[in-house]
Amino acid sequence: MDIGAKVLSLRNVTMKYGTKTVLNGVNLEVERGQIIGYIGPNGAGKSTTVKIMLGLIQDYKGQVEIFGQDIASGDPSYKKRIGYVPEQAELYDNLTAMEYLSFTGELYGLDRKFAEEKAQKLMEEFELGHVMHSRISSFSKGMKQKVLIISSLLHNPDLLFFDEPLSGLDANSMMVIREMLAQLAAQGKTIFYSSHIMDIVEKISNRIVLLVNGAVIADGSFEELQERNEEGSLSDIFNQLTGFTDHASRAERFISIVEGGIADE
Amino acid sequence: MNEFRTLAFLSKFKRLFTRAGIDYQAMETILRMKLTMDGRRTPTIFNAQKKKEGNQFLKSLWIYGLYGLMIIPFMLFGEGPYIFQMSIAFGITMFILTTTMVSDFSSVLLDVRDKTVLQTKPVSSRTINTAKIIHILIYMFFITGAFIAIPLVVGLFSNGVLFTFVFFAALVLTMLFIVVFTSLMYFAVLRFFDGERLKDIINYVQIILSVGVIIGYQIVIRAFNFADLELTYAFSWWHVFLPPMWFGAAFELLLNQDFSNVMILLSVLALLVPIISIFIYIQLMPSFERNMDKLMSESKSRKRSGWLMDFWGKVCCRNREERMFFRFASLMMKQERNFKLKVYPSLGFAFIFPFIFIFTELQMRTLADISTGSMFLLIYFGNMMIPTIVYMFQFSDNHKGSWLFKASPIQQPAAAYSGTLKAFLVKLYMPVFLLLSIAFIAIFSWRILPDLFAVLLGAVLQTLLTYKWINAGSFPFTSSFEFAQSEGSAKMVIISLAAGIFVVAHLIANAVTGGIYIYIILLLILIFMGWRAILPVIGHPAPH
Repeated sequence: MDIGAKVLSLRNVTMKYGTKTVLNGVNLEVERGQIIGYIGPNGAGKSTTVKIMLGLIQDYKGQVEIFGQDIASGDPSYKKRIGYVPEQAELYDNLTAMEYLSFTGELYGLDRKFAEEKAQKLMEEFELGHVMHSRISSFSKGMKQKVLIISSLLHNPDLLFFDEPLSGLDANSMMVIREMLAQLAAQGKTIFYSSHIMDIVEKISNRIVLLVNGAVIADGSFEELQERNEEGSLSDIFNQLTGFTDHASRAERFISIVEGGIADE
Repeated sequence: MNEFRTLAFLSKFKRLFTRAGIDYQAMETILRMKLTMDGRRTPTIFNAQKKKEGNQFLKSLWIYGLYGLMIIPFMLFGEGPYIFQMSIAFGITMFILTTTMVSDFSSVLLDVRDKTVLQTKPVSSRTINTAKIIHILIYMFFITGAFIAIPLVVGLFSNGVLFTFVFFAALVLTMLFIVVFTSLMYFAVLRFFDGERLKDIINYVQIILSVGVIIGYQIVIRAFNFADLELTYAFSWWHVFLPPMWFGAAFELLLNQDFSNVMILLSVLALLVPIISIFIYIQLMPSFERNMDKLMSESKSRKRSGWLMDFWGKVCCRNREERMFFRFASLMMKQERNFKLKVYPSLGFAFIFPFIFIFTELQMRTLADISTGSMFLLIYFGNMMIPTIVYMFQFSDNHKGSWLFKASPIQQPAAAYSGTLKAFLVKLYMPVFLLLSIAFIAIFSWRILPDLFAVLLGAVLQTLLTYKWINAGSFPFTSSFEFAQSEGSAKMVIISLAAGIFVVAHLIANAVTGGIYIYIILLLILIFMGWRAILPVIGHPAPH
């Protein structure tokens, strides 16, 4: 695949749950090697978009092409080149980390021995070596997150969907992941990164897509967004574009309720 | 939050608690919160029902009342020495109370949320611990009450006031002993093992409870027949380690005025051990709390070699995808506790029921007499468990993890259930069937070998048909257990009875000379064609 090749494209994608419209005509073209910061307020439709592209949701309208293939065709092969970290750390946690990883590796078509060896090395890098054969249910949030990240990378995918991948990780592990993402992108992998932590999105993404009420309302590099909106940080731009400006007065009211009422005895 | 009559009753003892240095107000608040939460929990004994409104616990008490009837016979066997009847009665009581305590109240004792929610608040740890114990005692009081109410009244009429009084006092001690003993047992387990191991132990106790109650009931019914035996009591040193004997001895001592040294020793144990263990418990409470941290931390690594699983996977499965699900399903069956809790009791019944019927028959005929007939068909009772278990493969506590199946490039979704059903047959069905077969060959001789083979093939076909008929969705372990009973129960009854069709077919086959071999060939053809039609897995899918 040559540099600049199209990895995925969404054309006029619409999604309804009953009468509620979640996605309202999303258009998006993504090229190889991009890190896309996919941001938006709660309920904007970020996770839904990702789930559609992964084939978790099928009854959408519009066209979704990944690696040039229309995913509605029903052939699951395109998923072999995708890695996914879901927002909630949901996994079969009665399995041990090793059992889970070798199973997911096999699901993606790896040989079990190969998957196990690779998983072991990756777990050791992530300081999970000593709990490799423990049930995941006994893991902390951060450890579960590490298992999910490893499971998304085990088959060396070309396209990554990371939904809030840093949640629960300590500062050191976060640095590792951030550096890893930069290097993966440099090697031509495409990363679709959803998060609510604007500072990180600002630093790692080379393109930012803002989704509000099921539609893309801003799309471009951080610098481009800055020029257009004359605001300092991505966080400020986010507030401005989503029309949220009364945070100070809200906080004020909140504090006054905390301090009012029944006095200390 | 509700007002609880129990708390109103407890408040009568407010002064007592306050004098012991306990913040009664705080304790009452904790208890009210706990009781409210309990109203939203379902007891194990009721695991076959879906969630309903109201305190399921109070509604489940009648079951304990029913179990209580089991001990009435032992109180009525009049004249003999009390130590026999009452030891058995207390043995049953202790079994029920301990298993209930472990299965339903472990979560109370081991609630790790207590640490973050309660210990961060300005409440003394003495108050918190007392609240915990009182909380459990409230329930044990209800359970013991329900369990013993009818026997107590029967005892009052048949054995007099003094008997009732001793009985009541012994019960209170038993209750205290069990609560404290269970806690100490947990303490010991947590001291040496990790939290996961403790959860496994609790899981197995829950399974034993489900099986034990049914089997115990069968045994007690049969106990009527050998109950008239005249026995004289002879002491052996190991009786000292049987708590039910202590209480039995107390009856002997107080009611039959048997003042022998042995009776005095055992009775003193009945009185002292519960009291001493409470003191030990209070002493150990702080270090127990510390060990509770293990429940929250990661468990030790234990690597299991899976060569046996790999071997069977290679033998049974047609391709890599199917083998993968074979492995996955094997691991889930072995490691998901809730699945085990719902499935393993059925396995136990499958194993036990054929024997129970043989034993019933033994009371009328001799073993030699039985072994010549067609009684070996009782082994079909072992196949009755198949529908319940196959149905359960749809469910998992971790059903949310099933995004994985959709997000990954699975070429042949049919391989998922195909592998799972094969794993069930190899991992769960076969061990039970083999044990049953060994026992049956011992009873009925080698002549039944072809019949056993037909039974096995029948099980395979029944597994496939059950799946076809009741399982929804293309992947196993993808729905919540909460949906497990809402649908499919009527179908389930019908399909369980379908085992009868196999029995009838088998009987017909046996009516003709050599018919069993035709039946076996017929079954083989049906399995071969049925499996291909229902779960088509191609030998070699497109190479990766």
